[in-house]
Amino acid sequence: MLKSTLHRLPIPLLLLTAAVAPVYWALPEDLSLPRSLGIILGWAGCGLLLGSLLLMLRETWLSRWLGGLERMYQWHHRAGVVAYVMLLAHPLALAADSWPQFPAVAWQTLSPFGPGWAVRLGWLSLLLLMFGLACTFAARIPYRSWRWLHASLGIGVLLGLGHLLQLGIEEPVLPLLALATVLLGWRFIRDDAGLAARPYIVQTATPVADGVVEIALRPLAEPIAAAAGQFVLVAFLASARFRGCGQFHPYTVSSIGIDGEIRVGVKALGDCTRHLQSIEAGVPARIHGAFGSFLADRPAAPQLWLAGGIGVTPFLALLRAGPLSQPTVLVYLYRSEADAAYLPELRALAAADPLLSLHAQATGKQPPDVASLLPATRGLSGSECYLCGPPAMVAAVRQALRWRGVTARHIHYENFDFR
Amino acid sequence: MRRLYLYATAVFWLLVATVASVGHWWPAADPAGPPAGERTIPAAELARHSLPDDCWMAIRGVVHDLSTYLPEHPSRPSEVVPWCGREATEAYDTKNRGRPHSARADELLTTYRIGRLTEEKP
Repeated sequence: MLKSTLHRLPIPLLLLTAAVAPVYWALPEDLSLPRSLGIILGWAGCGLLLGSLLLMLRETWLSRWLGGLERMYQWHHRAGVVAYVMLLAHPLALAADSWPQFPAVAWQTLSPFGPGWAVRLGWLSLLLLMFGLACTFAARIPYRSWRWLHASLGIGVLLGLGHLLQLGIEEPVLPLLALATVLLGWRFIRDDAGLAARPYIVQTATPVADGVVEIALRPLAEPIAAAAGQFVLVAFLASARFRGCGQFHPYTVSSIGIDGEIRVGVKALGDCTRHLQSIEAGVPARIHGAFGSFLADRPAAPQLWLAGGIGVTPFLALLRAGPLSQPTVLVYLYRSEADAAYLPELRALAAADPLLSLHAQATGKQPPDVASLLPATRGLSGSECYLCGPPAMVAAVRQALRWRGVTARHIHYENFDFR
Repeated sequence: MRRLYLYATAVFWLLVATVASVGHWWPAADPAGPPAGERTIPAAELARHSLPDDCWMAIRGVVHDLSTYLPEHPSRPSEVVPWCGREATEAYDTKNRGRPHSARADELLTTYRIGRLTEEKP
């Protein structure tokens, strides 16, 4: 329990410090309430945005320290939106200062058409944040376009710091501008351009279900360190006969070989992953990671694993790594036999391992009635539950488990959602 | 988070539109009242006085000749001189850590008043 709490603390503490430190430095004295509020909101929003930039970095050591990449991304989004709301309120509070007596002065304070670059840069920054967040929430934009539109948020942060410089506040702003530039450059060079990734080459590509291919990658230099339950970011590059995707996408590891070979399961979900269904041996790739701790530190208690579709991959990786040491029930749900990746291999593993009980079930196109698929309350007593699959299925199973008396600390899941 | 974004953005634009529409039609404030026969100074003329020893500055639409005061200003010249010859209300209101100048500074400023800024030719 204590370990779980400590695991969750670093990011909220980091963001709290990022928001409070600049406010403490600029704490207003002897000013009206609206003006004080405007100043506090501006500096707190600025600090939160910088904290949010740190949380977008994809470094294995940082993700371990901050409780995982998925958690970092959740807080990256939360901090960004809260900072945006604060920065929207910042000019309104400053204008409110003179509103009761002089509405015309209030508009002069707020107007983007007034003289001086300070206010113009502030407006430009806010409009870019507004645009970037609108794109962030637009789920229908293809990922390739989405990531560039999302990057406009970084430019918005830099323009916001330019707004402060134009106001003549150089003392803390120049170091903050340098920090923001370093964080954005770090993300672009090490993560997006792939400097932090290691070179691999595609060894084999084996279809394992309709629209699912398992790709084996052989290291060309020192391999990455990975464990079952983790995921890696992979960019498949171009070869003489294959048009590469270029961008890094997350894939769950399905097998880790002793020679450093990594296998990943790729389901056709978007443009890139559909194209990867026809990948051939010899295609170069870069792998960054591994990330996540989904199946790490599992207690010796009996286990319930529930997998939906390609979500079976982390469990398969663990089963391939060796025989189980605790009784385990694997509930594997898929639409039809043709969609069920790795099903023959899972059946063979269950037949060979007396501790593994496999319940494989086709659910059709309708959402499954998860309550009827779970063991009875008595069967769940003392079990650790691990869930991996579509977010809606994971949410429904979590709810069903809670109704059966399984407490939150015995339910483990990852959504693998990186937008 | 998506809902928070949508509501916050809608409320922001609603408030900006309210301030803009009321502020645009409200008569401009001039609490001290312009001195009788005060000259109007176009932005182009203001821009010609942008040197440390010939420094005019417009604050809230009022032009001040700060040439004689500048050597006494407590800040470094590099922070003040760039605002000579310009509309400097935002800088005046956010001198350091976003704080405005004091009431004493406001009072002192009135002694250097030389006219009103106008976009029109005098």
